[in-house]
This record gives sequence, C-alpha cells and structure tokens, in this order.
Amino acid sequence: MHARRAAAIWCVLAALALAVLMASLALGSVPLTPARVFAALLPQPSHSGAPADLAGEIVRSLRLPRAFAGFACGALLAVAGALLQVLLRNPLAEPYVLGVSGGAASFALFAMMAGCAWWLVDASAFTGAFVSILLVLGLARRELWRGEPQDTSPRLLLTGAVIAAGWGALITLLLTLAPDDRLRGMLFWLTGDLNGGGLPWLALAALVLVLVAILPAAPQLNVLLRGDAAAQALGVSVMRLRLRVYLVASLAAAAAVTTGGTIGFVGLVVPHTLRLAFGNDQRMLLPAAALGGGMAVMGADLVARTVIAPAQLPVGVITSLIGVPVFLWMLLRRPR
Amino acid sequence: MTTPTTSPSTVATLSAQQVTLRAGERTLLERFTHTFYSGEVWCIAGPNGAGKTTLISALAGLQQPAAGQVELDGVRVADWSPVPLARRRALMPQSAHDAFSASVLDIVMLNRFPHLAGWGWEGEADRAAAHAALDLLGLASVATRDVLSLSGGERQRVALAAVLCQDAPLLLLDEPLSHLDLHHQIDCLEALSAWVAGPKRTVVFSCHDLNLARRFATHALLLDGTGAAFAGPARDVLTPALASRAFGYPLILLQDGGYEALIPAPRPRNAQRGSADPAS
Repeated sequence: MHARRAAAIWCVLAALALAVLMASLALGSVPLTPARVFAALLPQPSHSGAPADLAGEIVRSLRLPRAFAGFACGALLAVAGALLQVLLRNPLAEPYVLGVSGGAASFALFAMMAGCAWWLVDASAFTGAFVSILLVLGLARRELWRGEPQDTSPRLLLTGAVIAAGWGALITLLLTLAPDDRLRGMLFWLTGDLNGGGLPWLALAALVLVLVAILPAAPQLNVLLRGDAAAQALGVSVMRLRLRVYLVASLAAAAAVTTGGTIGFVGLVVPHTLRLAFGNDQRMLLPAAALGGGMAVMGADLVARTVIAPAQLPVGVITSLIGVPVFLWMLLRRPR
Repeated sequence: MTTPTTSPSTVATLSAQQVTLRAGERTLLERFTHTFYSGEVWCIAGPNGAGKTTLISALAGLQQPAAGQVELDGVRVADWSPVPLARRRALMPQSAHDAFSASVLDIVMLNRFPHLAGWGWEGEADRAAAHAALDLLGLASVATRDVLSLSGGERQRVALAAVLCQDAPLLLLDEPLSHLDLHHQIDCLEALSAWVAGPKRTVVFSCHDLNLARRFATHALLLDGTGAAFAGPARDVLTPALASRAFGYPLILLQDGGYEALIPAPRPRNAQRGSADPAS
C-alpha cells in the first residue's frame, strides 16, 4: 500500500465523519439550519440576543458533547477490535470476546444497583474492564508471553470467551436481583447509552493516548500477522509488542465501555468493513478504524435519538441492527 | 558487546560452538561445533523430531541453545540488535499463517521491514526488491492475487520469495520444499543455487529429500536425533552408511550411468516394523 492511498482513505473518512458530526449537531427535536449550528459553534459575543442562545445552548451543551462522546467511543471500540484481531490473529476477536465489556458491565451494574452516583458507576465500569483484562492476562499469561514460534491464539481466545461467559452469568444474576426502579437504567447501560453523564473529554483524551501509543507500531503489527517466528526473525520484539497491543486495546475498550456502555458490533464490523474495502495494512487500518468507528457510533446515536423522537433508543441496538446486515453483505459479496 | 573469535574473520561466517540442543529430557544435539562459510548451500537432514527446526531456530538466534553459542560474523547472535540481525540473516519458518486476506505483493513486501525508515512506508526500492524476488521464483503472475486463494505450494513459494526480498546474505529455511511438486522443488533449488553465488551469501535449509540434497546442496548436516551430527560435503555425508544409521532404516545407493539415488532398502520379510521413518 502506498502512503498516498492511505492518506486519501483517511481524508474521505474524515470528511464523512465531519458530515455526520454536522448532521448530529443540526438534527434533533429542535432542527437547526447549518448556518445556526455554525453560529452556535463560533465564539459568542457576550450577551447577544436571547433567541440565539437557546439554539447555542442545545448545540454546545447537549449535542456537541454527545456527538464527541459517540465519536470517541466508536473510535476506541473500533481500534480495540482491530488491535485484538491482530493480536490474536483471529478475525473474530473483539473487546466482548475477551470479556472486557462484560467485566465493565458487571461492575457498573453492581454500582447502579447499589444506587451509586454516575461518576462512581463510571469508575466501577473502568475498574471492571481492567479486572477482566488482568484476569485473562493472568490466566493466559503462558500463552501470551511464550517466545516459541507457535500460534498462541486459541487458548487466549478461549480464556477470554469463558471469562466473558462468566460475566454474562453475573450480569443476568444482577438483573434478576435488581429492584424494579433501577432495572430500566441498568438495561439501557447494558445496551449502550450515550445519554448519561458521559465524559466526552476523558474519552477523547483516551483516544489520543491510544493512537499515540500504537500508531508508531503499525509496521510491526503488519509483520506480527505473519506469525511470531517470522516477526521475531524480522527484528520485532514480539513479546513487548504483544504486551503493548494488549494494554492499549484494553485501555481503549475500558474507556469506551465506561463512556458509552456496551455498544455492540462496532469493534467487529468497522475494522472488517474497512479491511474488506481497503485491505489489511495496519498503518492505514488503525487510523481508518478510528475515523470509521467514530463516524459509525456518532451516526447510530443520531438515528437512536431521532427515529422515534422525543423518545430515545439505546445506541447499542442501532449499531447491532445496522452492523449485522452490513457485515453479512460485505462478507458474502466477496468472491473467494 | 563484540567478542571476536579465533575463526577466520576474512569471510562472513555463521558458526555453532559447542551447541547443545535439548527437547525436554531428550538431547537432540550434543556439543556441536561447526562453521558455515559463504558460498555454501547446506542441507540439514534427519528423521522427524531429530531437531532440524530447533537447530535452524537456534542458528537464527530465536532460541537459546541449552549450552554453547551461535556466532555470526564473530558476534554472538544473542548480542546482535534485532534489526541489523534481520538485515544479516533471514529465516523462513516452517509454516506461515494467513488469517486475513492480502495481496501476494504486500505479503512479500512485509519482509522489507528491517529496511524501512521513517514512518514505515515502503519506497520504490522495496517494491522493486519484492518484484525481483517474485520474478526469480516465477511468481510474477500471482503478485496481485489474494494469499488466501493460493494453494499450499504457491504459499510456500511466496514465503520463499519473501525471505529472498529481505536481502539478507544468510538464508535459513525450514522445510522450504514441503508442499511443492517436483518441478517446483527443482526450480526453487536452482534459484537458490544461483542466488548463493552473490557476495557473502550462504543458504541453510532443512529437507527430507536426500536425493535433492545430494544434487543441489554443496554440504550436508545429518542429525540422528540422539546427539550426533555429521557435517561435510553433501556426497560425503549423505552416504548409504551414514544415512542408514541416522534414519534407523537401511538405505542403498543406486547408480545408473552418471545418476545416483538413495532409496530405502526392501524390508527383510521377518523384520520387525521399525519406528523410524524411511527417507521419503
């Protein structure tokens, strides 16, 4: 792949993401013209007319943070999915498969059941994600670190899948025991919800951190796909790279789940769609996954809050409803 | 970090010094000392489980021998920095996994990794090296195909093209001929024989076909899997006597005019079925 082609792909995706962002700011229960959205985004002259302020308030304090939270969540999930697929050399890998989302959900639901404040729920989700990671890492450490030239994927993947199943059981248990008045909020959290007191700036900061930490390693990741022995022989420190990928992917997944709950299918569908369309060069794919994933969740959230407005759907339902057929179509259309 | 050896330093060499390899309790190779010089094509032969892959891995510096050390150009391979080492020697592992689709050209070009600079995008020189390697193995027509659509034999040749385009003077190839049909085996060995004529180049490959080894390798290293190793010119090592001993099955040398072939001897009627593989 040429660097020029990759840059062209990024530019197109960035333009599309920008268009979805504009739509997210303009559409909703109070539709706004693009001109008014721009006006609201520009620095306000102090104490301007009262009517303009309402639109400005809606854009600045409701729609913009929510769109940014959606973008950051989607970007983090897609990057985490792409990284785990490379790490495990398995196209089916995803944050859910390794139990990261399940751990976050279990801890968050427990906090919600106990009636904790939103920030404590978020902190619990983040803790849960990392507990889950440490659990998988601890149980499968021999597979992950062994420097032998063999495929370490199956056991790590199975470990993650079993841990995820365990979290699934715990989530069901918590939902069964939950008092009725909390159940609805818990279910919304579980399916992915950008409506809560999310912190878009923390998620965006996590996204920047994740990209800075992993993009320089993209050429090494390409080589890692050929197998540990081949990568080692080409001068890649395979174990260090694996640890770095695992930690970065985990941070990304934890930050995303904390911000938006469990938004499904983004980590699986977005990297695959981009891979089928443009190839599997990680140097191109990782930034593209960030842009594409961000765009996807931002768009899905736009649909979720407008389609049956003023009521809102959980964004996770939309991503799954759109993601499943798109993924099947992309997969089946391709001649083998 | 450099420890010059007493071996002749005028030629670029790979040398094993008192190398002992073990697999669990079993000793595969005991205190093996040998030097591989440039211009040589080495075949490592031996029964299954004799340690061919382990030895190649140790020579490549991927695996620490149980005792002894491997030196490349007079420096222990363990002391080489990874990237310069990757420019000095290339390793073709026994099997490569392709879980995702990619074009053959992109897969081959991955082996340019040690030569990449800056942001890690390939330049025209890298592209040219990949095309040259594909041409050398007659793979120019599959350059744009998806690796997942290739047959096992084509994939094997693509892996060989990949290590060739790595542009390292020492090639370590683990079973490069497996899955290949006869004429491709010969094409590949001819390509390697031509390639090794370049400056400072050495090829070490493991192989099950003793006759191809006798024909194309200049030297052979025969492992018996119990610690002993015989090294020397191919025709002096791959003899009926030594090969029979290493493989645990009698082999005979047929001669017809200028042609020779090592074949397994007919099994005596009352002989017990042995555990060792005959050379295939």
